[in-house]
Amino acid sequence: MRYGIYIVPAAIVLTLGSLACKPPKTAEQIKAETQTAFNEGYQAFKDGKARATNPYVNDKENPHKAQGWNDGWDKAAADKAAADKAAADAKAAADLKAAADRAAADKAAAEEAARKAAAAEKAAAFKRAAEAALKTIHFDFDKAEIKANDRALLQGIADFMKAFPTAKVEIEGHCDERGTNEYNLALGNKRAAGALAYLKTLGVDEARFTTISYGKERPLCTEAKEACWSLNRRGEFKLK
Amino acid sequence: MTRFLIRTFLWVLAASGLCAQQAPPTEVVLTATSSAKLVLAMAAPKVTGVSEATVGTEFTAVLKRDLDESGVIAVLQERLPADSAPVKAWKEAGAQWLLTVRLSKAASGDLQLEASAVDTGAEKGVFTRTYKADKIVPLRHIAHSLADDLVGRLTGDRGVASSRIVFVRGLGKGVKEIFQVDRDGAGLMQLTRHGALTLAPTVAQDGRLAYVTYKGGAPEVWGQRRLNGDHQKLYPTTSTGGMISMLSSPAWSPDGKRLAFVQGDRRGNADIMVLDLATGRARRLTDSTGINTEPSWNPNGTQLAFTSDREGGPQVFLMQDDGSNLRKLTQEGLYNASPAWSPNGAMVAYVSRFEGKFDLFIYKLGEGKAYQITTGVSTSESPAWSPDERRLVFTSNRFGSSQLFTTDLSGRQILRMSEMGDCQSPRWIRGR
Repeated sequence: MRYGIYIVPAAIVLTLGSLACKPPKTAEQIKAETQTAFNEGYQAFKDGKARATNPYVNDKENPHKAQGWNDGWDKAAADKAAADKAAADAKAAADLKAAADRAAADKAAAEEAARKAAAAEKAAAFKRAAEAALKTIHFDFDKAEIKANDRALLQGIADFMKAFPTAKVEIEGHCDERGTNEYNLALGNKRAAGALAYLKTLGVDEARFTTISYGKERPLCTEAKEACWSLNRRGEFKLK
Repeated sequence: MTRFLIRTFLWVLAASGLCAQQAPPTEVVLTATSSAKLVLAMAAPKVTGVSEATVGTEFTAVLKRDLDESGVIAVLQERLPADSAPVKAWKEAGAQWLLTVRLSKAASGDLQLEASAVDTGAEKGVFTRTYKADKIVPLRHIAHSLADDLVGRLTGDRGVASSRIVFVRGLGKGVKEIFQVDRDGAGLMQLTRHGALTLAPTVAQDGRLAYVTYKGGAPEVWGQRRLNGDHQKLYPTTSTGGMISMLSSPAWSPDGKRLAFVQGDRRGNADIMVLDLATGRARRLTDSTGINTEPSWNPNGTQLAFTSDREGGPQVFLMQDDGSNLRKLTQEGLYNASPAWSPNGAMVAYVSRFEGKFDLFIYKLGEGKAYQITTGVSTSESPAWSPDERRLVFTSNRFGSSQLFTTDLSGRQILRMSEMGDCQSPRWIRGR
């Protein structure tokens, strides 16, 4: 204890002395240090070296929830809402598309119907014209020459063929019952050919006709008298 | 074995057809006796195992009709002596031959027929033959065979009682099919079933059929390449693009290797063609502006008769089988057609239009003259020769619808074959 009176004052002197050697920071120093730290951080941010992740946030699924606290974000509800919205959007889009499709289909159907009606009308007109034009012509016994009063009928057929350029016609040659079956087949062929040649002179392409002979095998009437025979000696025109 | 079964089946068919459809009774439209005929008398058949009535209708009547239609044998019908009378009594009754027949049916159903004929003048046998037949062979067919053999014994050429007629028959609604019937009008059989216009049958010597059918719309030549073979398309062999507007009138050459036919074009011409079946090549024989049709071969296949309108109306012409040596046959009349060259080659039958209807004529090539066969107010058409050249089959509308008739070459014995209507284009062919 006898040395205490020396040591304690010495320690006090040393402590106070050391304090006197390192003076405290001035306000300018603190301000400069702060400015330097800020500049370093700013430079790092500009260089792209800023931290990408928040070291305080560990729950990646829920970025709103920092460690230790919750801002009230409900992921399930948010997911559901998002899904509902997507579904609603999809439904709306689908509805829109369906409506557009329906409109397009209705339009197409209407067009198709119109086209069909037009085609039917055209077919009917074609049929009417064919029926009006394709009349039977007649011949004299054992002859294949076109008779004068059948020329107008053949002109009508030629006009029909020109009015309907896709029409194709078969010319049938027929005979009366007199004469042999085989000779009459050849005569029917000659009659069909005679009609074909006449139509060709009226300017119709002969490739649009086929010819066939039925000789006396398909009579219209079977009585053995001239009224019947003259009916059977005929050229018929059939649409092909 | 299959062949046997098929044949058996056909016989059964024939037999059932026979039962179902009795032949119409012989209808002699015109008849005349000829002094050139041999007079044959027939004693009543001695029968065991078969009913007398059946024999009467199915054998005796059939045999008498066959002999009568043969044209060379007349059957003695009146003032017959008793069956047991001596040969001399038959001679005094007028018979030159006396035919005796013994018919027996075994327990198995098989038939046996013993036939013998005696010359009443020399009082010696001239004919003996025994026929044995399976039970499914109709009695009628045995009568036909006996008639054919008797005619063969007398003339040297077998008769044609067993022959058949092939013809076209209309079935309505534009359908015609080819049928066959026995020469006596029995045993009708349908040969085609195309359900379409089917025309102009021709039968080769060996029995193969050919014809024209419209089953595909346009006409085609169909027929059999082999005996009993399928019916198949023979011509056109390739698609023609509608340039052939007519095919008709096929005719087998006598050797059966070629088929003449007629092809029409879109200019109205019809030409005779000959198709070689082996090569499939068709050759055109006529090349004229106009109609050439109805080819008919001569018996050795070197010439053809045909109808042509090259001089105006239809006339009958002859030519070689290569189209050369053309000459006109018919000199009289404005419409001569449908030539049919006779089996021995000496005659050509044809039809001629006379006073608004058609009659049968025969042109005798040796004499260079034509003879009229039929006369009357009705039309006679499509003559075809019997294989023995003694008769013609033809169609006539003398009873309304077109029916089948036969006539001898004098035109005095015209017989109606059957009462079927709507018949055309008959062809007469040797039997079974």
